Amino acid sequence: MSEKLRLRALLTALAVLAGALALAACGGDAGDDDEEEVQVAEAGPAQGKLVISNWPGYIDTGPNGSVAEFEEKTGVDVDYIEDVNDNAQFFGKLQPQLQNGESGDRSIFVVTDWMAKQMYDLGYVQEINRDDVATVFENLAPQFQTSNLDPDRKYSIPWQSGMTGIWVDTSKAPDIRTVNDLFDPKYKGQVTMLTEMRDTVPLVMKADGIDPTEASKEDWLAAIDKIKEAADSGQIRRFTGNDYTEDLTSGNAVASIGWSGDAYLIGNKNAEWRMPTEGCMLWTDNMVIPVGAPNTGAALEWMNFTYEPNVQADIAAFVNYVTPVAGVQEILRKRDPALGNNQLIFPSEDFTANCTAQVNPPGETEDVQEVTEAFEDVVSG
Amino acid sequence: MEAATTTAPRVRAGAGARAWKWLREHALNIYAGLALAYMLIPIVVIAVFSFGETPRDRLNFAINDGFTLEYWENAFSITELTDAMLTSIELAALSTVISTVIGTLMALALVRYRFIGRRGSNLLIVLPMATPEIVIGAALLSMLIIYNISLGFQTLLIAHVMFSISFVVVVVRSRLIGFDRSLEEAAADLGATPVESFRYVTLPLLAPGVMAAALLAFALSIDDFVISNFNSGTTETFPLYIFGVQLRGIPVQVNVLATMLFLVTVVAIMLVLWQQRRAERMASVRPEPVV
Amino acid sequence: MTLRRRFIPYALLTPGALWLIIFFLIPMYFMGEMALRSGALETGGFTFTWEWSNFSEALDGRGEQIVRTFFYTGTATVLALLIAYPLAYAIALKAGRWKLLLLFAVIAPFFTTYLIRTIAWKTILADPSPVVDLLKTLQVVPEDGRVLATGGDVIAGLTYNFMPFMILPIYASLERIDLSLIEAAKDLYASAREAFLRVTLPLTAPGIVAGVLLTFIPAFGDYVNAALLGGTNQAMIGNKIQSLYLVERDYPEAAALSFLMMAAVLITVLIYIRLAGTEAFMGDEDEED
Repeated sequence: MSEKLRLRALLTALAVLAGALALAACGGDAGDDDEEEVQVAEAGPAQGKLVISNWPGYIDTGPNGSVAEFEEKTGVDVDYIEDVNDNAQFFGKLQPQLQNGESGDRSIFVVTDWMAKQMYDLGYVQEINRDDVATVFENLAPQFQTSNLDPDRKYSIPWQSGMTGIWVDTSKAPDIRTVNDLFDPKYKGQVTMLTEMRDTVPLVMKADGIDPTEASKEDWLAAIDKIKEAADSGQIRRFTGNDYTEDLTSGNAVASIGWSGDAYLIGNKNAEWRMPTEGCMLWTDNMVIPVGAPNTGAALEWMNFTYEPNVQADIAAFVNYVTPVAGVQEILRKRDPALGNNQLIFPSEDFTANCTAQVNPPGETEDVQEVTEAFEDVVSG
Repeated sequence: MEAATTTAPRVRAGAGARAWKWLREHALNIYAGLALAYMLIPIVVIAVFSFGETPRDRLNFAINDGFTLEYWENAFSITELTDAMLTSIELAALSTVISTVIGTLMALALVRYRFIGRRGSNLLIVLPMATPEIVIGAALLSMLIIYNISLGFQTLLIAHVMFSISFVVVVVRSRLIGFDRSLEEAAADLGATPVESFRYVTLPLLAPGVMAAALLAFALSIDDFVISNFNSGTTETFPLYIFGVQLRGIPVQVNVLATMLFLVTVVAIMLVLWQQRRAERMASVRPEPVV
Repeated sequence: MTLRRRFIPYALLTPGALWLIIFFLIPMYFMGEMALRSGALETGGFTFTWEWSNFSEALDGRGEQIVRTFFYTGTATVLALLIAYPLAYAIALKAGRWKLLLLFAVIAPFFTTYLIRTIAWKTILADPSPVVDLLKTLQVVPEDGRVLATGGDVIAGLTYNFMPFMILPIYASLERIDLSLIEAAKDLYASAREAFLRVTLPLTAPGIVAGVLLTFIPAFGDYVNAALLGGTNQAMIGNKIQSLYLVERDYPEAAALSFLMMAAVLITVLIYIRLAGTEAFMGDEDEED
């Protein structure tokens, strides 16, 4: 390029850059963090439009399902979107709006414990006044009255709960009973673990006798090292989301860390979910009300509605995970004894005696970041 | 052409040698046939599994249970899925039209003219392709938030056109390079204005390139997940629906609709071809005008 | 040149350029600004501090993934070229009136979503499947090995999913070839191979260059293939960026790594274009008047 052209090109580039800067200045800051008190969701009449973001398969959205029932009962127009399929993905997509104090039109999100807490800590979520959700707290089953991460239930209302344990192909690996069995070399390359750090790492710690609620950062890092070794040696085939079900179906894997409610996704009649001898991890997906949520009155009404035992019975029958509402088991026992007595849907206290509810890695933000990074490095290869 | 015969006795070519010869002559076609099969394998598998009975009507790709047509009969029974698919098709169609037009114009400018900013424009074209989707998606979202633009179908369209333009330009450009200008010059010599010569000479000759670019833009748009995920607001597209629903199981109707989409595309083209042949045949049987 | 004539290229260029500047460049500027910030979401957000160390941190310990990404993407591109060219050739020059149908038939599977295409492949290539057994007999796969969750699988995924990007430009430029040129070459005593190498191939060079670029460039930043088809040691740069952004929420480092990655791709592209000849990429036509 001749000197003159080069100069011109440079000037053009600078002009574009200047223009961009000007626009950026006009647009204002990319959201400032104010230190304000946490908002409390306002109660109000249930009317108008309600937008809910939930995980897929968590309610019957059909014409005879619970959503339709709510609409009929209250006259609220519900836009029920099943777009939460991964906590991190959902957060990533909503974060710019939440930072600006907007909720993307949504009045309720349903996210897992740790994500709910993170949103709360970042000021993205409103608190909920107990008086506004009386039905909820009346019917909330005892073991859900508090949680490790939201001890006073200030902002999260459980939607459904589940257990993370081990799925085993009993025809090929009948003797797998604890997470440590997954490290057995005879199953090399046929074992998968979850990409969800708060499921995988605590389970590995528990198998070595460490209580996740009291583990130190070093414990977490040591467990991650153990997992890393297994990943590098090829013992662990891969880290999965819920696509471990594919591996179990096709025979690629004989054992996977996985979730209790995924039975119908696994087309392998020999696969069964096992409670590890050291106990499982309990997680809960919770309803939260984001900042800037329109129509919080309807949102609170929805929460009350879904906690009525009859309604919840429909939901539990549809979902097949663990319901947080008391009194549902009796109702379902009458409707469908097989369902009502299913340990995976209504686990007894004994069954979950050794289980631990979800926790975060300990320490300050930097410590959590360190642990997260270490695990991510292992998981993403 | 016959090879010159030798006087030495020739062993009669065995079946093996003949087969080898046949193979060499048809090597290209065989190779292409295999490549074609390779391209189509997944759609065959998808179609096959749309006929399998599964518990809870969710895919589990297990080869068991029974053969059933129930999912085909109820193909449109999942409203969310059907809506998502229609949204995707509409979005892809619009995005294809807009990006193909814009991209073709750009390609023309870039190949046929020398102007200041030509190299810069070339760079500008390549940049979106080189950027990881998550960065494009998140960056665009941040900007839309700052300027308070509400998210939805329009923002999706904006995003889809944005990432498609580059691909259209590159494809059309490859067709434009080495284009035989003498035809256009001939048209000009015969008195055509630049616009006429563009419309009647350039464009038809460019058509396969533009069509290829349009196909690519359509495929890009209908398959996009990451960028759409960030910029869709509460609108749902087909890939968004599937990525969402796969957590609790993909309904078999997804396979049905996917197979349908493929079949509709192929059938549509066959209709176009059939129309063409009819037109040709009719043109050829028209009686010659008597001079 | 008259003023109006000089105006034409800008007129043609403007809609696209504007679209890209507003909806791509400006967001990228914000990203670039983010790359120089420091902090964390939880501790009060990110502040602009000319944090150039983000760039060096982004590269820290990532050498393996960078090399791997080049390897996977390069191999996939070459494979795609080898498969696409003969297929495009057969369709464009030998299929006669069926060529449109075949072209659409070849591209239409890509209208279905990536996810179900991949699940379909995974079903076929599952460890116990007959296809894998066949591959083992053919020694393509080692006896105690597998296809899924390996580097080979990621490459296969990249190759397959970027086939349309390779086929379409090559088809577009092949279709243009005047068959009489090839016949002329043969009349001049060229063998089929010579005719191909010295007539067809050079004429379709722009298509090949376009296909290679359209495959290599986006594939480099891809993450889905490695995520779904890879095992524990197959991550590409795209996966790292994905994880930095979504899971670790280290937006500055994610942005920095992205820019570095884009730079790497662009440099590779520049080298390739130099080698392949700039005319094949940009054309060197002049509007004479």
